[in-house]
Amino acid sequence: MDEFEEILQDFLVESFELIEQLDQDLVELESRPDDLELLNRIFRVAHTIKGASSFLNFDVLTHLTHHMENLLNMARHGDLVIDADVMDVILESIDLMKALLVRIRDSGKDGGIEISACVERLDAVANGTALGETVPAPVDVAVPKAAPEPVIAVAIAEEEPDYSGMSEAEVEAEIERLIAVRQAEDAAKRAHKAPSAPVAEEEEPDYSGMSEAEVEAEIERLIAVRQAEDAAKRAQKSAEPEAPKTAPVSVSTPQTVPAPVKVASAPRKVEPKEEGESRGGATVEQTIRVDVKRLDHLMNLIGELVLGKNRLIKINDDVEERYEGEAFLEELNQVVSIVSLVTTDLQIAVMKTRMLPIGKVFNKFPRMIRDLSRELNKKIELEITGEETELDKSIVEEIGDPLVHIIRNSCDHGIETPDIRLAAGKEETGTIHLKAYHEGNHIVIQIIDDGKGLDADMLKQKSIEKGVVTEKEADAMSEKEAFGLIFRPGFSTASQVTSVSGRGVGMDVVKTNIEKLNGMIDIDSEVGKGTSMKLKIPLTLAIIQALLVGVQEEYYAIPLASVLETVRISKDEIYTVESRSVMRLRDEVLSLVHIGDIFEVERVFDNSEHAYVVVLGLAESKIGLIVDSLVGQEEIVIKSLGEYLKGIEGIAGATIRGDGGVTLIVDVAALMQMAKSVKSTVGQESAEAKGRSGVKNKPSDYTVMIVDDSKTDRTIMRKSLEPLGITLVEATDGVEALNVLKQGDYIFDAMLVDIEMPRMDGYSLAAEIKKYNKYKNLPLIAVTSRTGKADRMRGVESGMVEYITKPYSPEYLMNVVKRNIKFNEGL
Amino acid sequence: MSEKLQQIINKQHRALSGDDTKIDEVIQLVGFIVGDEEFSVPILSIQEIIKPISWTRVPQTPAYILGVFNLRGSVIPLIDLRSRFGLETMKHTEETRFIVMKNGDDVAGFVIDRLTEAIRLPKRDVGPAPDTINEAESMIDGVGKQADRIITILKVGKLLERNF
Repeated sequence: MDEFEEILQDFLVESFELIEQLDQDLVELESRPDDLELLNRIFRVAHTIKGASSFLNFDVLTHLTHHMENLLNMARHGDLVIDADVMDVILESIDLMKALLVRIRDSGKDGGIEISACVERLDAVANGTALGETVPAPVDVAVPKAAPEPVIAVAIAEEEPDYSGMSEAEVEAEIERLIAVRQAEDAAKRAHKAPSAPVAEEEEPDYSGMSEAEVEAEIERLIAVRQAEDAAKRAQKSAEPEAPKTAPVSVSTPQTVPAPVKVASAPRKVEPKEEGESRGGATVEQTIRVDVKRLDHLMNLIGELVLGKNRLIKINDDVEERYEGEAFLEELNQVVSIVSLVTTDLQIAVMKTRMLPIGKVFNKFPRMIRDLSRELNKKIELEITGEETELDKSIVEEIGDPLVHIIRNSCDHGIETPDIRLAAGKEETGTIHLKAYHEGNHIVIQIIDDGKGLDADMLKQKSIEKGVVTEKEADAMSEKEAFGLIFRPGFSTASQVTSVSGRGVGMDVVKTNIEKLNGMIDIDSEVGKGTSMKLKIPLTLAIIQALLVGVQEEYYAIPLASVLETVRISKDEIYTVESRSVMRLRDEVLSLVHIGDIFEVERVFDNSEHAYVVVLGLAESKIGLIVDSLVGQEEIVIKSLGEYLKGIEGIAGATIRGDGGVTLIVDVAALMQMAKSVKSTVGQESAEAKGRSGVKNKPSDYTVMIVDDSKTDRTIMRKSLEPLGITLVEATDGVEALNVLKQGDYIFDAMLVDIEMPRMDGYSLAAEIKKYNKYKNLPLIAVTSRTGKADRMRGVESGMVEYITKPYSPEYLMNVVKRNIKFNEGL
Repeated sequence: MSEKLQQIINKQHRALSGDDTKIDEVIQLVGFIVGDEEFSVPILSIQEIIKPISWTRVPQTPAYILGVFNLRGSVIPLIDLRSRFGLETMKHTEETRFIVMKNGDDVAGFVIDRLTEAIRLPKRDVGPAPDTINEAESMIDGVGKQADRIITILKVGKLLERNF
């Protein structure tokens, strides 16, 4: 079988390659109908496919290609002129051939596609009949026409030695006839119809009522019949010069007589069905199977495109800022928005190609429920809604196991036995409702049972017994947290281990798998009424929405799917309970952790009295993550950190940002684990920061940077400030200034910035500097000859604190600088 | 005449085979300085050499892993060879380079102080690593001797191996 499979694969690959070439050749042929080389090539394709398919027992395909071959052979020998009509028929047959090959690839069989009409047309063309007349019974056509065209018959006889000898033709006709008769009988048996002509005609109205198998059988029968008829016809035709022998053919195969008769009515009969078939055929051609690898590759490419788009948008923003009001901006804007729009659409389109209906997973549950209810002696009914809801293939694959565990759990622990249910005044039959629907960028799968519900106190008790939690912990738990206990490893409420449950593993698997998908679990339950479990899962995994947060000078991306909300709080709102930071969030107590503690970020300054808290929710747990700043929401493409850095705790991967930099993606599940063991340092950093800011003892402890491209200007500034005795550092443009700043050799107290400079101007420099939290409060003083109000406004926007216009007096400059660096205050 | 021809053919043959053995015996290395020493790696294990670009720190890693950087869409780890070799870290200078090395699918960037040159070294001039170094743990593949200096040849596979 494997060997056959291998041959089949080779055959398919070869055939599809040939057909690809065929299409091009045929188009060429239409313009150069006399090109023998081309014709030979096309002929060989039909011949090759015919040979291979007959070897592989694809009778329908063999049959079709055989007739094509005939026709092409005639054209090759100059007995037939290829005109548009003939070409139509050839193309039609090639389309059919393709459809057959696709069918073979998909199902391993070549049935189910109606070819007799096409074969008839092929034959008709071969016989020189006008196309319009093909519908009437071909038998009448074949016999009279064959005589005036002995050339054709001879040509066929020469090419097909099989038919040149009468006996062989007879044998083949006989074989085909027998096959036809048997198939016809089979079909008839199934259809409870006798294979005779009048009955066949009576069959006509029944097609709509036929089952698929019946229709299939009927088609097969018709094909077989046609084959038999064709064979007989061929035999007749080749026998034409030897007229006496024609009779034996029909005599020795007496049943061929009814067969052609039956077939004569076949075309008419087939017509209504053909419509149905062609509809079926069309759907076959509208879907193609694509290797998942290709889709993955496509998805990767789209990922790159999304990154490029992000980058383009960023550049556009920068350019917009710098060249405000210029005419080309509008055009650029348009292009950027079109690219961004198309990229988004493309992304959605590709994502959709990866979507599968969740029904694929749901389908196995009815059977499971039936088995389980018998095993547990319960009466359980499963209701499924929303099985057509689609989600990413990779998620469909991952979601199966968790659902199995949840449903088993519902059956085992949720639904009560019939007598208990009756005693409780419920219906005897318990119901489990499986529901799937979209909610924003998520799919929600809900499993609702009307069983006994979860008892928070009982859960706590059991957990303490099993040593999952301590008594103290249990006391502090809210109802929801108690429900969450069922997901703890080692937890089980079943008093004994059964084959269905009780090992305390299943629900733990659920949680791990859902977390892996960045999903959330929400449990609602009422004792005696039932339990509802809600799984909220993002639609796709490769490209996600993320919240970008900043801590000191670092940025991290948090999957938005895990972000419940963000709040800005004052530091007074953070309380410490048993060396853990917590805050009140409405009526909940939320434990807090600083992102800097998780990721070992060195905290050199404390910027404000306020903090941002990102409330993270994953599966059923929640935590507040303190960050320094919220940057915004962005679409990110998840990239792996590679073999060398894989498995770093708390990091799920990396993404490339619009500016080309790498930003790490937070693994929320791991972060929550880490948060448990991290000692809180929230609120401690301010003391440290104060110590670091440095004490100024002498004037030279103050450092000011002068950024100007003109040597003269720099000298003027230097001369003006030298009397103060402070340290002065010079830079010739924005880029250099930024480098000096980054090197960190000096701690600057202020910067004097010229606006018009090569490479990077003053506004851009200011904007760049302000990106660093460290320099947020560094006073930037613009020194420029631009005096317009708009310029001043831009200066303020980009973060300049003072705006000195050239020319200025040395005293004025000195005073401004003194004021900004708080000169003398510390001395 | 034919004798002469034969001689020429033989000569050519000798010359050719002689060349072959010569090529076989030469290894090509790229030399660079880290700290005070000159090191080298086989030229074929180098994917590219770039000027320093910005990188992103990765938490929970040893100090010698500076982080990751973006090399045309791929996220690649960056390793500081100075601290990898237990030397004091130094600010990047104009001459600092990132050498991106690969070994199979493993790729990483290494920060070096400066490049020296591409070196062609006859194989016979390459000696084994000093005995005092534990063979399995050693990052040294061998020592190349040149007229005026010795060059340590590093094992790229070892450099790219995660050891934390």
